[in-house]
Amino acid sequence: MNWLTILGLLPLIGSAAVFLVPRERAALAKQLALGISSLVAVAGLVMATSFDRGVSGFQFVEKYSWIPAFGINYGLGVDGMALLLILLALILTPVVILACWNEAEGGRWSVKTFFALLLILETMMIGVFAATDIFLFYLFFEAMLIPVYFLIGGYGSGERAAAAVKFLLYSLFGGLLMLASIIGLYVVSGDQLGAATFDVSELQKLSLNNQTELLLFLGFFIAFAIKAPLWPFHTWLPDAAKAATPGTSVLLLGVLDKVGTYGMIRFCLSLFPDASKQLGPTIIVLSLISIFYGAFLAIWQSNGDIKRLISYTSISHFGFITLGIFAFTAQGQSGSILYMVNHGFSTAALFLIAGWMIARRNSSKVADFGGLQRVTPLLAWTFFVAGLSSLALPGLSSFVSEFLVLVGTFVRYPVAAVIGTLGIILAALYILIPVQRAFHGPVLPGNENLKDLNLREKIAIAPVIALIIAFGFFPQVLLNVINPGTQASVAALNIEGDK
Amino acid sequence: MNETSQMLVFLIAIPLFSAALLLLGGRALDKVGHFVGTLASGAAFAVGVIEFLAMLRRAPESRAVTQPLFTWIEVGNFNVGATLLLDQLSVCFVLLITGVGTLIHIYSIAYMSHDKDRRRFFAYLNLFIAAMLLLVLGDSYLSLYVGWEGVGLASYLLIGFWNQKPAYATAAKKAFVANRVGDVGLSLAVMIAFVQFGSVSFSGVAEGVEAGKASSLALNALGIALLLAAVGKSAQFPLQSWLGDAMAGPTPVSALIHAATMVTAGVYLIARSHFVFDVASIAQLLVVIVGAITLLFGAIIGMAKDDIKKALAASTMSQIGYMILATGLGPVGYAFAMMHLLTHGFFKAGMFLGAGSVMHGMNDEVDMRKYGGLRKYMPITFATFGLGYLAIIGVPPFAGFYSKDKIIEIALDAGGAKGIILGSITLLGAAITAFYMSRVMLMTFFGAKRWEAGAHPHESPALMTIPMILLAIGSVSAGFIFNMGDRFINFLAPLFHAGDSGHSGHGEKEHLLPPIVVSALALTAVAIGVSIAIAKYGRGKAIPAVAPSDVSLWTKVARRDLLQDEFNETLFMRPGQELTKALAVIDEKVIDGAVRGVGSITLDVASGVRKTQTGFVRSYALWIIVGAVGILGAIAVMSL
Amino acid sequence: MPAPEIEYAVLAPVLILLAAGVIAVLVEAFVSRKYRYVIQTTLSFSAIGLGILSVALNKEVSGRFAEGSVAVDGVTVVLQGTILVFSLLGLLLIAERGFQSFTAQASTLPGSADEQRALASGLQQTEVFPLTLFAIGGALLFPAANDLITLFVALEVLSLPLYLMAGLSQRRRLLSQEAALKYFLLGAFSSAFLLFGSAFLYGYAGTTTFEGIKNQISVAPGNDLFLLVGLATLTVGLLFKVSAAPFHSWTPDVYQGAPTPVTAFMAAVTKVAAFGAFLRIFYATIGGMVWTWRPIIIVVSILTMAIGTIVAIAQRDVKRVLAYSAIAHSGFLLTGIVAFNKSGVEATLLYLATYGFTTLGTFAIVTLVRDAGGEVTDLNRWSGLGKRSPLIAAIFTLFLLALAGIPLTSGFVGKFAIFSAAYESGNISVVIAGVLASAIAAFFYIRIVVLMYFNDPQEDGTSVMIPSPVTATAIGICALATLILGIFPQPVINVIDSLAIFVAG
Repeated sequence: MNWLTILGLLPLIGSAAVFLVPRERAALAKQLALGISSLVAVAGLVMATSFDRGVSGFQFVEKYSWIPAFGINYGLGVDGMALLLILLALILTPVVILACWNEAEGGRWSVKTFFALLLILETMMIGVFAATDIFLFYLFFEAMLIPVYFLIGGYGSGERAAAAVKFLLYSLFGGLLMLASIIGLYVVSGDQLGAATFDVSELQKLSLNNQTELLLFLGFFIAFAIKAPLWPFHTWLPDAAKAATPGTSVLLLGVLDKVGTYGMIRFCLSLFPDASKQLGPTIIVLSLISIFYGAFLAIWQSNGDIKRLISYTSISHFGFITLGIFAFTAQGQSGSILYMVNHGFSTAALFLIAGWMIARRNSSKVADFGGLQRVTPLLAWTFFVAGLSSLALPGLSSFVSEFLVLVGTFVRYPVAAVIGTLGIILAALYILIPVQRAFHGPVLPGNENLKDLNLREKIAIAPVIALIIAFGFFPQVLLNVINPGTQASVAALNIEGDK
Repeated sequence: MNETSQMLVFLIAIPLFSAALLLLGGRALDKVGHFVGTLASGAAFAVGVIEFLAMLRRAPESRAVTQPLFTWIEVGNFNVGATLLLDQLSVCFVLLITGVGTLIHIYSIAYMSHDKDRRRFFAYLNLFIAAMLLLVLGDSYLSLYVGWEGVGLASYLLIGFWNQKPAYATAAKKAFVANRVGDVGLSLAVMIAFVQFGSVSFSGVAEGVEAGKASSLALNALGIALLLAAVGKSAQFPLQSWLGDAMAGPTPVSALIHAATMVTAGVYLIARSHFVFDVASIAQLLVVIVGAITLLFGAIIGMAKDDIKKALAASTMSQIGYMILATGLGPVGYAFAMMHLLTHGFFKAGMFLGAGSVMHGMNDEVDMRKYGGLRKYMPITFATFGLGYLAIIGVPPFAGFYSKDKIIEIALDAGGAKGIILGSITLLGAAITAFYMSRVMLMTFFGAKRWEAGAHPHESPALMTIPMILLAIGSVSAGFIFNMGDRFINFLAPLFHAGDSGHSGHGEKEHLLPPIVVSALALTAVAIGVSIAIAKYGRGKAIPAVAPSDVSLWTKVARRDLLQDEFNETLFMRPGQELTKALAVIDEKVIDGAVRGVGSITLDVASGVRKTQTGFVRSYALWIIVGAVGILGAIAVMSL
Repeated sequence: MPAPEIEYAVLAPVLILLAAGVIAVLVEAFVSRKYRYVIQTTLSFSAIGLGILSVALNKEVSGRFAEGSVAVDGVTVVLQGTILVFSLLGLLLIAERGFQSFTAQASTLPGSADEQRALASGLQQTEVFPLTLFAIGGALLFPAANDLITLFVALEVLSLPLYLMAGLSQRRRLLSQEAALKYFLLGAFSSAFLLFGSAFLYGYAGTTTFEGIKNQISVAPGNDLFLLVGLATLTVGLLFKVSAAPFHSWTPDVYQGAPTPVTAFMAAVTKVAAFGAFLRIFYATIGGMVWTWRPIIIVVSILTMAIGTIVAIAQRDVKRVLAYSAIAHSGFLLTGIVAFNKSGVEATLLYLATYGFTTLGTFAIVTLVRDAGGEVTDLNRWSGLGKRSPLIAAIFTLFLLALAGIPLTSGFVGKFAIFSAAYESGNISVVIAGVLASAIAAFFYIRIVVLMYFNDPQEDGTSVMIPSPVTATAIGICALATLILGIFPQPVINVIDSLAIFVAG
């Protein structure tokens, strides 16, 4: 049974259905979108139950020849990492739809289009993580841009068109560099394996000479570093996140950007182990810069725009993720993968709540809020919990991943780990300062009559908060899925000095 | 292998569940919230007592019990289980936390009765109890970490309980951040432990040290990392600056968290890690130094404070300094540190509650210059506070005498110059303590009334006075009981293998001075301190309503907490802010600018080249010629 | 001297079209106006139909014919097939009567009374059809030409009608005629280069046939002055035809000035024919000199990509943007020449096939956006097209994405094939350049998309015509091809791979 294909098709069909809804029946379109995405989420969880946690390879594998002339296959399959990221997408999509029920008004196009685009995006997200054929991956990698582009440019606020174009050009640029590397792989595989192929597991057999490997590695890595985003390729993110609707930002930072870090593990490490090892230290440095750079700018934004603030904190978090990946240890990599999931949830919560605050106050300036704790206690609490997770408070999900990353790094690069650890101080600042500005202190004029979370919003945010707390105490549920792949990946790097 | 007990988890679960209930329950529970909270704390205390009695029935060597719950984190060889451990050390804390905690819950019922958020307050208190218990029950450094930051969170929430006042919100944030600095130390400690010993559980690390798996460098690094953590949590020098501001929280919080329990977690951490410090000499020396500096630091600040709570906070800092110093003196020290920790838990909590009671009667006035002669108006408060006072300054036979006296003793015994220096510091500390505590006593309960208009001091309700009385009883008797036949020392001995090193401080070992002389010295120091205080603030001495400004620079500096905040600002905050500003500019101008630059350059080139598109055939033809010549030239070059 | 023997069957495609052209002239001369349009269209379409048929019959053939002056092999068949299909589509646009793209009377002076009268009469001349047929005939012969003389003749047969057609625009006659004149002058100029080069090569090889030259190179390679000069100037002539930099300057003016249907026809057909000849000469004839010409082509290719993409950014007129994009694509196609391996041939053929459909489609849509004064090519006035007519905007977006080489469109398949061929040959520099150029190109294609979707329409009378069946068919086919070649290119690739072999020896 082609689980993944079906999973991917469902939202696509759904989006078509949503498109067919007459534009004046907006409510119907929303309900339809919500229903479909929830259905897909359930289907995905059902699929996950039959996932074998014992083994490291791909499961639910599908493979059909597509363009034999180029050795291109329609190949799908997931390992633990891919499965979790897909589930992340499947869970967040209905949450976003419910949370952003009224976001699409004020858009350039009809409301139904917004939700149809979301569903298309869901298909892309499933595809990009499920693809086992690099060409197919690249396809989704690029195709994903289009719905996001329209979501930002069509339904965002402020400089939305400019932000959308900036996002698109950055991604396209990265994508084309990756294309160059993909072409390289294609040709080399033709020479070495007899027949050119794009199959990831096949390509791992290649033996590249050092210079080629470095070049091809860079093509992939820069593309992923732009997505992830790693300093200094990050400047598109704050603009995009500020302009996009909160829902879009959730999927953008929560899931899409993970394609970058996912790709680093799936492709950079597995296809170019030597280049990875060679450039590892450099990337570690970049990661450290990202951690502090993002944190400082987040602190700077704590008297600026709340959405930019959250996006800068994400840059800092992505720094931790890449740090863990390029530490080449089981702890580091498992930590990074776990981090991808946890960051997905905590950032989602932050963005959704920020979105609700902005919608209520018609302002995204942190300074315009104040004393909300007294006016809208529930809203303040949910934001605070999500914030605590973002600053990696033990007992909440992010702590485990961040700590694993640091431990994993410490094993190989103690100094880097020590420096990285200092980041947790800044994390406390970039969460607590805005919390104080927005929620504590006297109630500022204009905030007196803000409404607290309504039922729909409660239902939307509850599962996210629940997961943030649950995974803080029971991360092993996820780690059991992640570990086999990680062990294999690190073993494959066979770094001398590791037993 | 330790015995297991299925009950430990309830110690944490009960208050945690209660906290969750009170938070999620909403306004519906406003009526009963405080009872639920108090009950939960009481229940935990009951469990603690049961476990304690069970422990006493076991042989001294096998008193520890554990309760494995589930695998928390496992990646490769990094394996941390969620396991609880109750041994002689943690049981002391369990009883202190739940016991004193429950009393403070009861006290708060009345103290907070006028606050519409009382339910939330009790939820936070329960949350704190749960976190603190997890801190002392965790069997590994990582589980300890969870409780460690858990109490930090609770403290943040409680300091900022009235966070509509910006100053209070800031104080809360300051406390959290200062603690985070310490947490860096704890994180690093866990990492070092894992890399060195492949385990982060106390037993695992202990065995690793025993087996000599780690170099002394690594061990000292580990020790210093742990010390950093302790310094942050216990408001020791140089991370002490948050404790004074933390008094922004409601007074019961100051009593429970910032006097009796949380701030002493640092002492617990060092005592818990004795196996590291025993072999890490540099780290151990640093511990002593930190303790010594802080005990004077706190005492000096204490002399200059007019805010009764801040004065008490300073004294807490100083008393914990004593404890830290003791833990730095090796096996013999841990037990005495713990003893002082417990007695201090009683009398300091008692005095804070007393202070709260005074504020309760004086419209929340905290400035001692506006008190005076209150002993007639609130006799119970006066009595209980007074007993606590006698205990802290170390008058026999009150609790403080026994514990502090021992610390001075072993400080002197530290040997050589070290012993003399430490000894004199502790003695000096004792004198200063006596001075500023007498000052508090005199300014509050004696002398002329200096009340604000409209102050009608009155004794607090029974719900408040009863806990104060009980704590006072503790302040009177605890030391005596503990010391009777060294029962406390012996109780802890198996943990610290102190048995072989003259733990009891009697006989086996040569003393620099005989104990009796030490006690005499200590008492003289106290007497000096008290008499100076009386001379300055005693009967008939006028105490101006506002602090006199024509004072020595020394006093001015002391009033401003020895410039600790100025120090942090100039050294960390300002540079940090500058850096942040700079980075913001760089991000906008340089990095994003570069990208935009590429764009605009391309555009310029485009319009530049476009100009060659004149539309004149002649110029087009010219281009063709140029091209042709170029190609010819190229071919020529190529084939040379 | 015996009569030369001609294999009529094999040469049928060319002959049919040229014959049809002749007949069409007669029709112009003798048939009354009323019926001309009908007859001309029937004639042209059936001619093309027959042409396609006869090409299909040639697919087994591989050899030199007409006394060795024409080579018909797999490559020829593919190219001729492609040319005929594109001609068909181009002709559909040319045959469109709704838009009055063509002047009533080419001979009348712009703005003259004659012209007024001709316009008033409302009856258009149909001379465009014979011209087109001749052009197609030339285009078919050009890539098949196997000696220098035939090559030159074919070139002229292809070009002369185009010079005229460029001047036939109904609106903006002056611009149109200026374009025609430029095209003619520069075209003549470059033909001179071609001729010059041919002369030198003859001087070198003592023969005009390609295999003669080839053999000569294999026996006496190296630095013969005649060979080198001939090579260089011949190359110049060809580079002009494919509008490679710096020989591209005519392209924007002509593309803009010519009637859009003609532009479409040129853009697709000429490119195929010219690159066809390119392949035959550089691969099958002067391949022995690859080490000499490859560096030059690399430089030219990179320069062409750069100029095409960068200058396009500064354009405000949609037809000029497309002209520069055509230049850029020539740059990409040249990487296929650089490759100089079997996959290079296949990739180039595939790229030509994909590119032709897309470019025809784009120009077809340009003919639809009009106001009272005719076509609206000022980009600013295209803003909000997405609101005005979502379907057309969507299709146009599809074409733009294909030109930008976005996956799932034919453009991507072509780019992928041609870049990997170049990479295979070890010339990674052009691949990198190509990728960067694509990045820049993406920018201005996307800018048009933004314009159509994210800007509001201005009330300036711009409107989108409902296409008549002919144009609609053309657009439909192009869109379909763009998608199918993007998603399931395999069948087409199979055909090309099986055929893309030059005649041996």
